Amino acid sequence: MKKILQFINKIQIGDLFTIIIFITLTAYLSSKLWNFPQGEYLKINMGKQEVGSFNLNQNITKIIEGPIGKTEIIINSGKVRISKSPCTKKYCIHQGWINQLNQSIVCIPNQIYISIFGNQTDYDSLNY
Amino acid sequence: MTRSIIKIINQDHKVAKLTAIAIALSLIEFFLPSPIPGVKPGIANIIILFTMIKFDFVTAVWVSIIRVFIVSIIVGTFLGPTFFLSLVGSVFSLLFLFIFKGINGKYFSVISLSVIAAFAHIIGQLLIVRFWIIPHDGIFYLLPIFMISALFFGLVNGIITRSLLNLNINK
Repeated sequence: MKKILQFINKIQIGDLFTIIIFITLTAYLSSKLWNFPQGEYLKINMGKQEVGSFNLNQNITKIIEGPIGKTEIIINSGKVRISKSPCTKKYCIHQGWINQLNQSIVCIPNQIYISIFGNQTDYDSLNY
Repeated sequence: MTRSIIKIINQDHKVAKLTAIAIALSLIEFFLPSPIPGVKPGIANIIILFTMIKFDFVTAVWVSIIRVFIVSIIVGTFLGPTFFLSLVGSVFSLLFLFIFKGINGKYFSVISLSVIAAFAHIIGQLLIVRFWIIPHDGIFYLLPIFMISALFFGLVNGIITRSLLNLNINK
């Protein structure tokens, strides 16, 4: 403990200055880069046709009839997930909840595509 | 058979000794498991900084670049992507050290230099990853993790280097 106090006393002003500058830079960039916007509504597509768009801020369960069976989609106040699916691998279920802008859940076997939209525009990472 | 005309001077022995220590530290670090993939403490930079302050910048450049080559040959990543990441990181660190080495003195100590070098290292690596290995903007989401680790390990390495310099080793 005594050694630590001695050490703190020996730190020069410039070093403190450097450390503060870099902490500020890190905090600023972190908040800038990890600011994921929330979505406002979602669109559900089945095959090529759009099933509909729904507000995210509600609690409803949707059942959608696909080519191989029924997919159950749960919307729960700002987030959405697939809870039941007739597909074999269940990747869509394991993806869990999504709530951010431009996130999506895809179930290829049942041709279900859910994606979240919002009023803010974010860049689309699916496009090059 | 002609005799070698390269004369080995004292400087060569100095570089060799320091490089050997740096390589040993790098290898220890290579075998240590890392909690987050891609985040390493970079303890070999202690030697680079020590060399730069104790001797001169040119010696530090020699030690740094030779270390990168030898370590990559030993662990088997020579001319692979890991090797180029390491090389570019070192070159960026040295570049920023060259720019900022003048501030070491009354107000700033080697701790500042260490933090600056650590940040330069991740900037260089992220640039080469962005433009060559993974050409996608998504990797910048990793930047905060690398910056926090650079800050932390830069500070720790700087503190170790300063205590090393205070020991007054004269060899």
